Parts: sequence; structure tokens; C-alpha cells
Amino acid sequence: MTDLATPSKVTFAEPPSSPDRRVRRTGTAARRVRSAVTSALKHAGLVLFGFVMLYPLLWMLASSIKPNALIFREPGLIPSDVDLSNYTDGWSALLHPFSRYLINSAIVVLGCVLGNLVSCSLAAYAFARLRFRGRNFWFAIMLMTIMLPIHVIIVPQYVMFSRLEWINTFLPLIVPKLLATDAFFIFLMVQFFRGIPRELDEAARIDGAGHVRIYWQIMMPLALPALATTAIFTFIWAWNDFFSQLIFLTKPDMYTVPIALRTFVDSTGESSWGALFAMSIVSLIPVFLVFLFGQKYLVKGIATTGIK
Amino acid sequence: MRTSITQRGRRGAAVAAGAAATALILSACGGDSGVGGTGDVEAQECPCEIRFSWWGSDERHAATQEIIDAFEAENPDITVVPDFTDWDGYWNKLSTTVAAGDTPDVMTQEERYVSDYATRGVLADLGELDIDTTKIDQSILAGGQIDGTQYALPTGINAYAIVANPAVFEEAGVEIPDDTSWTWEEYVDVANKVSEGAGEGVWGTQDYGFNEAGLNILARQKGESLWTPEGELGVSEETVAEFFQTSLDLMSGGGQPDATRTIEYQHAGPEGSLVGTNVGGMASFWSNQLGALSEASGEDIQLLRYPGETEFERTGMYYKPAMFYSVSATTEYPDAAAKFVDFLLNSEEAARINLTDRGLPANTDMREVIADDLTDADKQVADFMADLGDEIVDASPVPPNGSAEMQDIMERVNTEVIFERITPEEAATMFMEEVNAAIAG
Amino acid sequence: MSSVIQEVASTRRAASERRKGDGRMAALFLAPWFAGLFLITAGPMAASLYLSFTDYDLLTAPAWVGFDNYVRMFEDPRLLTSLQVTFTYVFVSVPLQLAAALALALVLDKGMRGLALYRSVYYLPSLLGGSVAIAILWRQIFGADGLVNQVLALVGIEGTGWVSHPDHALNTLIILNVWTFGAPMVIFLAGLRQIPRMYYEAASIDGAGPIRQFWSITVPMLTPIVFFNLVLQLINAFQNFTQAFVVSGGNGGPADSTLLYTLYLYRKGFADLDMGYASAMAWFLLLIIGGMTLVNFLASKYWVHYDD
Repeated sequence: MTDLATPSKVTFAEPPSSPDRRVRRTGTAARRVRSAVTSALKHAGLVLFGFVMLYPLLWMLASSIKPNALIFREPGLIPSDVDLSNYTDGWSALLHPFSRYLINSAIVVLGCVLGNLVSCSLAAYAFARLRFRGRNFWFAIMLMTIMLPIHVIIVPQYVMFSRLEWINTFLPLIVPKLLATDAFFIFLMVQFFRGIPRELDEAARIDGAGHVRIYWQIMMPLALPALATTAIFTFIWAWNDFFSQLIFLTKPDMYTVPIALRTFVDSTGESSWGALFAMSIVSLIPVFLVFLFGQKYLVKGIATTGIK
Repeated sequence: MRTSITQRGRRGAAVAAGAAATALILSACGGDSGVGGTGDVEAQECPCEIRFSWWGSDERHAATQEIIDAFEAENPDITVVPDFTDWDGYWNKLSTTVAAGDTPDVMTQEERYVSDYATRGVLADLGELDIDTTKIDQSILAGGQIDGTQYALPTGINAYAIVANPAVFEEAGVEIPDDTSWTWEEYVDVANKVSEGAGEGVWGTQDYGFNEAGLNILARQKGESLWTPEGELGVSEETVAEFFQTSLDLMSGGGQPDATRTIEYQHAGPEGSLVGTNVGGMASFWSNQLGALSEASGEDIQLLRYPGETEFERTGMYYKPAMFYSVSATTEYPDAAAKFVDFLLNSEEAARINLTDRGLPANTDMREVIADDLTDADKQVADFMADLGDEIVDASPVPPNGSAEMQDIMERVNTEVIFERITPEEAATMFMEEVNAAIAG
Repeated sequence: MSSVIQEVASTRRAASERRKGDGRMAALFLAPWFAGLFLITAGPMAASLYLSFTDYDLLTAPAWVGFDNYVRMFEDPRLLTSLQVTFTYVFVSVPLQLAAALALALVLDKGMRGLALYRSVYYLPSLLGGSVAIAILWRQIFGADGLVNQVLALVGIEGTGWVSHPDHALNTLIILNVWTFGAPMVIFLAGLRQIPRMYYEAASIDGAGPIRQFWSITVPMLTPIVFFNLVLQLINAFQNFTQAFVVSGGNGGPADSTLLYTLYLYRKGFADLDMGYASAMAWFLLLIIGGMTLVNFLASKYWVHYDD
């Protein structure tokens, strides 16, 4: 609807007509031109801004196709020498082909996404829609759990998971998500659930629906943007999470992408920067695709479902 | 009412569960690694699985896996599980696993931490294990001893040295100085001349003030030393002030870039350093980084002795144990671990795969074994180290507990100096105070 | 934070008369969360609280020292530095980041071509945020010979090494944080889409123009999401670690100018093997963040609008 070509086409197609009609038509055309210009400006702005946002990625892409030695000597955007060996070398540089780390990361990430979607939405429903004793207290406790830096929690956690013999499995990374320990998402969904008009569940209650049905048949579909947000964020954060994966996974065949990427760089000796950039690009692709395709669900909320 | 009773019951059970979890965790924090050495865990027979941990980048990981494969082929009843990551990740992973009593059976150690781990009972007394150390350079064996006990065995040796980029010197029309006799004054002079001769955007040298090794060399030249054998700070305030003053002289004389560029080049590692990017004549690096520098610059970078070796009381250059191999005091398989360490240090196969990646081999026989396989840069390192052999007076003592903070302190103090927010004298006082506080606990 | 819940409770008392027995339902919905809280979160948290009263080097068993660690904190000049750095960082970067996120979300919410692509492109920096590559990239942009200075040179201004100067390094970190506005932007977008269309339709029928609709519908309906973003970004900013770690090379330099609180805590715990002190620092941080969050919740009564 903001097609740049439309106004001129309309003008050309115009048959000769009476003066007063023409005035009106010109008025419309002017408005169209104006809106086209605004739209073009807006796009220009967005593109320019997009370039600023994209620069780092372009730079990383450029660096990933430079020979290792040129990355620092010629830091500009246009490579003087193109060399794809960073990709082939990087793929097989570590003990396993890089696909192994991608698969491991995918397993962890899918487990986390599923866990967070189910467990956090259940907890959020209780906080947003149910009345029970100590609700304020538990809500405060919930927020408190995300206020301690991970660095002091990780050692006790390691000890605990070590006792359970969960070290070097994906369990310490996935099970906590199944048990709603990511309070961030509970809070997120509480805020969204509370934005859903209560008339809807009141109506359902009158029809005899219980909380389980309201949760499943009304809240979940209506909170699609919140669920999509949760899924996307969980995906990205788990995909990029270095610290806990480093600590809990000890054998190379269980390593995930972030750990694998770090092992290209050694501050005390030689680093394979080219391979690091190349594999970083490779590991960005799935995340970017998830975001690109997932983001349309962000906008399918109450606004686009049948209920109005 | 019924609801709240069941709820209370549930809550009680939940709180009990949480308390139980806490108690379990606390009982185990540091619990398994009580001081006492190898004695308190019963040794098990193989077939067995031992874990070997190290830090590094992809090439080291691949090479080490090859060594492990060679070892397993020779010892089919022992499986070695690799556990590797980058430098920063390594130390927080290692301390976390030690805290939980999951110490790797064989681990890589470093000068700055070995005392912390040894004195706290994490490392086994290697003298009690069957590892052949007769071929190891005796002067550096002491680097792994604390109070006379061998807790760690050096993998190889490095030396802290000046690296020079011949292309930059040529461009500037300056001769590379004779490193056996040059003085500190000449160093500043040469650097200033290179800056002048090479023109805009090229400098004589990169600041050495971020690493305590340079300070240690100066101190040793003056008959002092960074650390005393008793584990105290052994350098005088005057020497520290002089060390920082040189850096300021270089900045004002133009031999060294301004403060902000200095920091940027410092953070860029060997690959992004002045010498590595062909915009600087000299820099200070560990000898094992010569390969990375040569590769990044595309030039034949040369190793030079530190200036001042003949200027004061004695020479200051020294061999630094590149890394150490240590065995966990609580390993269930001390014999297998010992066998593996022995293989790493003394087998030709391991030496041929490892080459100089963990420093020039500590085992002197192995230096000959690998001599023909070395790259040009590594050959230069080997020759350089051999030449130093006769000049080095003694080993540098093992840094004490808390010395891991040294790096941080150097970086902070030096930054204050190069931005001229404090004088070299004030820097010396600050340095002494902070280091003493760090090693006091 | 009780106010939020009370508000819900009071506004909906009549409707909830019928639902006195929610406690049981709540227990059901919260079961996974309770399990996670007591089995996974509580133990390590309690352990870290205990450890904050001990001398604990990770390598040997902790030894009880009472309030020693907390007392030491008051005598630690670097802790004071890190608090100053952190407060500056938080109070400058969070408002800027949220403003950028909201502005972009409003622009991108309108139906226009290539929307999905723009959204994804603007989100990209957030995907890269913690990568090791950022360290090199930031030097390339904000270094003495970096992109910014090249642009400044065109207009005759001589810059400095922004990323490596103690007076400016923190600003580059703030820019980095603002630049990764993707997460709050996505949440804003989801929030905008969740506003029921019927409100706008009703307003149009009443003759309200787009500007009035924005102020009387969009803004109030979005306040829960603004509130959520504010609370969460504050909590996150106080705990920011990765970006400062990567850009400063791990030590908060130059001259402690980017020594964020959590970075200092990490160095104390893992590099200096002083986990007792690090734990005390963590609980002190929890007090700060908790206090800040409480103030936020109390203030929210005056500006956050809930529809339920």
C-alpha cells in the first residue's frame, strides 16, 4: 500500500475530465505522492540505520573470508584477498566436525524452549489469574531468584549436579527450565496475561470452563506473542550461553557451539581468528533463521485472532 | 481450610527438600580436597578412565588428542578423556570442579596458580609417583617445587624476550642492535630512531609495562628478583620506578605510541600487536609466541635478549616453565596418571606431535628429537634458548599464593602511568602496596 | 511489589467472590515452579548466602568468619569504584536503550514492506552481543584509528582512542548496551500487538484521531510492558558481565574504568580465589537490585495501567 509507483501510474491512466474533478484528483495524487515520499524517507532512514546495526555482521563476514594474517593488518570491510579456507578449516579444526557442536546446541536449546514454554506459562497463569495465600510473597521470591549473579551460584550448582551425576549430560541445562527456574519468562508472561481482558475468562467460566481449560483454550492462544517472545529469547540465550555450558559439559563430544567457539582463541598463545569468525557466522545462521521465521508469531496476538 | 492445611504440608516438605539440598551442597564444597596429599584415596587398578585438562586454541587441542591416541594405543587399559577450553574458562572450570571434588586426574598448571593449588592440597606429590625426571633440565625442575616437594613438572621452557621486526627496522634505516651488549639507554634510543625513521603510524617499540616478566628481568639484572624464594616481593621500589620511567621516556621520545594506542595494541594479542601488523620495530613477548608473530606479520621476526644484560650486576634473562603437568591428590588412578605424565614428558611420540607448543621441551633429549621437525621460527627459538643456557644465573623462584593478581595489578598501575595520572615513583609505591596485599591473602 | 497484586485483588474482588478455592489450583499450576525453586534454585542460593560468611578459596573447605567479608567490602576502594562505574552504566544505558527500543518498535509496528527483515536486522546486534569478536570489532570502531575517528577527521575533529581511554571507555560500553536494544524492542512489539483492536475501533467511532488514540490507548495499554522492560533491563544491567568482560579483555580496564560490579565479583571469585568475598558481594548486589525493584513496583501504582 506504500508502493512508490502507484501515484504516477494513476495519473497516466487518468482520462480527461472536468476541471472540478481534476482538482479533486490532483489533491488525492498529491497526498499519495506525499505519503510515498514519507514512506521512501522512512525506508531510507531504516535502511541507513540498518546498516549501522549490520556493520558488525558485515565486518565479521568480511573478516571470515580473509586469510588469518590479514585480519589485523587490513581491518577494513573490503577484503583484498578472499580465502574460504577459514570455513573448511574451522569446520574440522576441533576434535569433532562442527556439526556435532551444532547438534548438541540444538538439543539443549530445544529442551530449554519446550521447558520454558510449558513451565513458565503455568506459573504465570497462577500469578496472573489465581487468588491464593502468599501470592505476593512467592512473587517476590520469584523475582529474587534472578537477582543473584550466576557466578556465585554456579559452584554450588555444580556440586549439586555432580552429586546427582548429571555432569557432562544435558540435564543440568534442561531440567531447570522444565521446572520454571527462568523467572524472567514467568514475569514476562504474567505481564502479558494481565493484558488479556478478564471478560474473556469470565465468559468462559459462565460456560462452565475450569482453570485448566481457560489456561489452555483462552490464555495460551491469546498470549501467542508472549509465547513467541519466550521461545525466541530462550532459543537465543541458550544458544549463546557460554558460562553454564562450559562448567557442566566436560567431554568434547558433548560440547556446544559457544564452548567450541571459545576454543579457537587462546590469549596466551596462538589464536585462529579467521576460523572463529567463520564458525561464528555459521552458528549465527540458525539463530537468525529462527528469528526471521519466528518473529511473525510475535505479531499474531489478540489483535489478529478472531476475538475482538 | 482443607486447602491451606495441605498447602502447609506441601510447603513444609518443599522447605525440607531445599534445606536438604543446601546441606548436601555445603558438605561437599571443597570437602573432597582436604589437605593431605595422595594418601587419603585408595588407589584403584586399571582398566580405567582418567581425565586430562588443558587450555589453548584449536591447534593445541588437535595435537593433544593425537598424543592421547598414541598413549592409548600403547596402554589399551587406560582411557584418557580430554577436557579443554580457553585460558579464562580453564581456570574457573578447574576451580569449580576442584570445589566439587571432581578434580581432573591430570591437569595443566601455570606458574601463577601452582602455589595456590599445591599448598591447598589439590596436587599430588609427584616424587611419590613413578615418573622419570632424570632427563628434565634440572634448573627448571625447581620451578615445580614448593617447599621441596615436586607438585608440578614443567612441560617446557619459554623466555621473555624482545622481538624485532627486520622489515620495519629496514624501512626506518636503523640497524638491529647487538643484543648481547645493548643497554637500556640504547633500547630507548633505538626505539626513538625507528619511530623517527619510519614515519607516521610506525613506532619503535610496544610498551612492556603490562607484564611483570620484564620487571623481573630488570630486577634480576640488579641483583634483586620479583619474588624471593620465601615467597615475598623481592624487587625494590627504586627498580619498579625505573621500570615505569623507561616507558614514559619512550612515550615522550616518540619511540612508543600514545597511551590509548598502547592499550589497544596490548589487547590485540600477538596477532594484532605492533610487530605482528608490521607497524612496530620491537615488542616484548614470550619466546613461544614467535611463531604467531611471524605468521601474522609475514616477516622473519627475530628474538633479542632484553637490554641491560651486561649493564648491571648480572644477567636477568631466565627460563620460565611454560606450563606444568600436575596430578590430582585425590585421583583414584595415580599410577595411570603417572604413566600418562611420563608419556607426555619422555616419549618421542608425544614430543614429535607437541613440538614447541608447550614451550621448548623440558626434557633435553626431546629437544634433539624434534630439532629437525621445527619450523624456521621454532628453530630460532631453540637456538636462542640454547645460547641463553650459559648466561642464565639461576631460576626465578615460584611465585607465591595470590600472585595470580599480579597481572591485574601490573595492568592497572601501568595504565595510570602511561596516562600520566601518577608518577613512576607513585606507581612504584602503589605497586608494592597492592602486591603485598595480594600475597598476604 | 505487593501493590501490583493488591491492585488486582481489589479491583476484581467482586468477580473473584466465586473463586475462593484457588489455592489448590494454584498449587497445581505452580507445582513445576515450586519444585524448581526448592530442588534447584534454593539450595545453591542458600549455599552462596552461607559461603558469604566464610573464607572460601574453592580449593579447601570454607571456614566461618562471620561478617568479615561484609566488613571488608566497606574498606575496599575498588569495590567503591565498581559501584560508581555500575551505577553510571545502569542509569545512563537503560533509559537510552529502552527509548531506542520503544521508538523502533513504534516505527516497525506499522504495516509496511520488509518489516520482518528490518525487525530481524535490528535484532542482529543482540545476537552478537557477547561474542569474542566484539572485542576486536569495538576496537576497530572506537579505537584511536577506528571508524569513528575517521569520520570525525572528515569534519576536522581529532578524536582519541575512545575504547582505551579511561575517561571514555565506559561510554563505549554504554553504546554497546544501547546498540543491543533488540530484546526490549521485541517485547515492545509483542506488547503493541496485544492491544485489542476493538479499543481503537471504538475510539475511531468516537472520532478520536491517531494522536489521541496513541496517548489514550497505546500508551496506557503498553505501560505493563514498559514496566516489565524497565524492571528487567535494570536487573540485567546491574548484572551485566559478558560485554564488559569481552571488551576490556577480562579485567575492567583501562584503569578500572569499566569495572562493572559483576566483573569485579567474578575476578574476586575465580581469578583471586576469594569466593567467600564474591558471595558477599553478590548478596550485597541482591540488596541493591531488590531495593531498586521494590521502588519500581511501588512507583508503578501511579503509572502502570492494568486492564484486568
